[in-house]
Amino acid sequence: MDYLQISNQPIIWLLCGVTVLIAALQAYFFIRLARKTSASVSLDPAIPKKAFRIGLITAIGPALGVFIVMVGLMAAIGSPMSWLRLSIIGAAATELAAATNGATAAGVTFGGEGYTLMILAVSWFAMALNGAGWLVSTGLFTPLLEDLRAKVSGGDIKWLGVMSAACSIGIFGYLNANSMIAKGPHINMGVTSAVLGGAIGMMLLGKFVVPKYPRLAEYSLGIAMIIGILAGIIHDTIAV
Amino acid sequence: MNEKQAMDSWKKSCIKIGTPTNLLAAATAFIPVIYLCVTYDCWPSFSLVFQAWLLTVISFGAFYIVEPLSYYASLGMSGTYLSFLSGNIGNMRVPCAALALDVTDSQPGTIQAEVVSTMAICGSIVTNLIATTLAAFIGTAIVSVLPVMIKTGLQTYASAAIFGATFGNFALKQPKLAIFGLGIPLICKVMQSYVGIQAWLIIVLSVFGTVGIARLFYRKDA
Repeated sequence: MDYLQISNQPIIWLLCGVTVLIAALQAYFFIRLARKTSASVSLDPAIPKKAFRIGLITAIGPALGVFIVMVGLMAAIGSPMSWLRLSIIGAAATELAAATNGATAAGVTFGGEGYTLMILAVSWFAMALNGAGWLVSTGLFTPLLEDLRAKVSGGDIKWLGVMSAACSIGIFGYLNANSMIAKGPHINMGVTSAVLGGAIGMMLLGKFVVPKYPRLAEYSLGIAMIIGILAGIIHDTIAV
Repeated sequence: MNEKQAMDSWKKSCIKIGTPTNLLAAATAFIPVIYLCVTYDCWPSFSLVFQAWLLTVISFGAFYIVEPLSYYASLGMSGTYLSFLSGNIGNMRVPCAALALDVTDSQPGTIQAEVVSTMAICGSIVTNLIATTLAAFIGTAIVSVLPVMIKTGLQTYASAAIFGATFGNFALKQPKLAIFGLGIPLICKVMQSYVGIQAWLIIVLSVFGTVGIARLFYRKDA
């Protein structure tokens, strides 16, 4: 039997579903905790509801990206495994790298000649072990990170706010620079157009549109994202 | 309940939910491969698995520590458990949490901020799970009829567009800091082609460099 046929058996769906279910259950438990907590401090129930809606809607755009990427991954590692891997920590590129490492360790090409069931197992082990790295480190050390944050903020709530924003700015600065500049150094113009489209779109929305139509605030990131994607597509159309 | 009591009890409950679920998911992710090996009697040797693991750790090992550390101030405690189980941190969890904090005018460090970012991240997880489940069942059929332009647009540009948009939102509020926040990683990325800087080090420099500069500005403003 071909390795993809084995990877796509109904029983594998069921077994992968266990972990997907844990991710869903964890979200459910945290929603329940957030509801209980907001009641205990008499927070306006409209606020958590609104926050949930913002997450639900804003994630649609990026989730469509994941959807398309996952279909590509399914052709390489099978549907149930892609479903498992992209429902939890990991990205298509990370999973493919880990799966390929399994083949490389055995001295064969991923999915090619000599990619036996045993080597498929090495690939699956590599993906599970890699994901476990993040899960175990956060599972064990998150309370330490909280202590660290408390120490660094020194109980100064205003500085804590500034520090959180600075962290996010650093993270997104990195994510932007990382996608715009490839080895060479070489600027990826299509991606740079998408980044600039998203950034400028969001700034214009925030500065001119949202103050007039406050209801649009919760959709602003989704709208800016569409502008960014369009900018990328326009770049491709002109460049070709 | 006052704010401090609520916060203490919140943190305790977060650990109670987060620790077992994250550790359990790490373990259950091995169920499919164990089934494969048992059913087809195709157990690989320990040394082969170890080699594959080693290759993977060389590429990603530093991120196991650097990412939770760098994202923590943006995600908080519940957000860290949720985001590192459900993934898609940069392109979904942090943007959703940041927007929700913004729209609801919640101050970081308060119980309202914890509740708001948790709910936003959970909302985004629901969307993500729906998307991956749909992709698993009907994805191939849908992608085969999508126009190439839309497919490429979503595949190549969705992440970049949301990275840019989220950055733009922060830049609007902290323009001075944004210059450094983008400048540091840009310089690092360009230098990476000439001298070998590891990717994880660039994250550390970008995040903690920006925090350091924020600290300088903060003292000046105070």
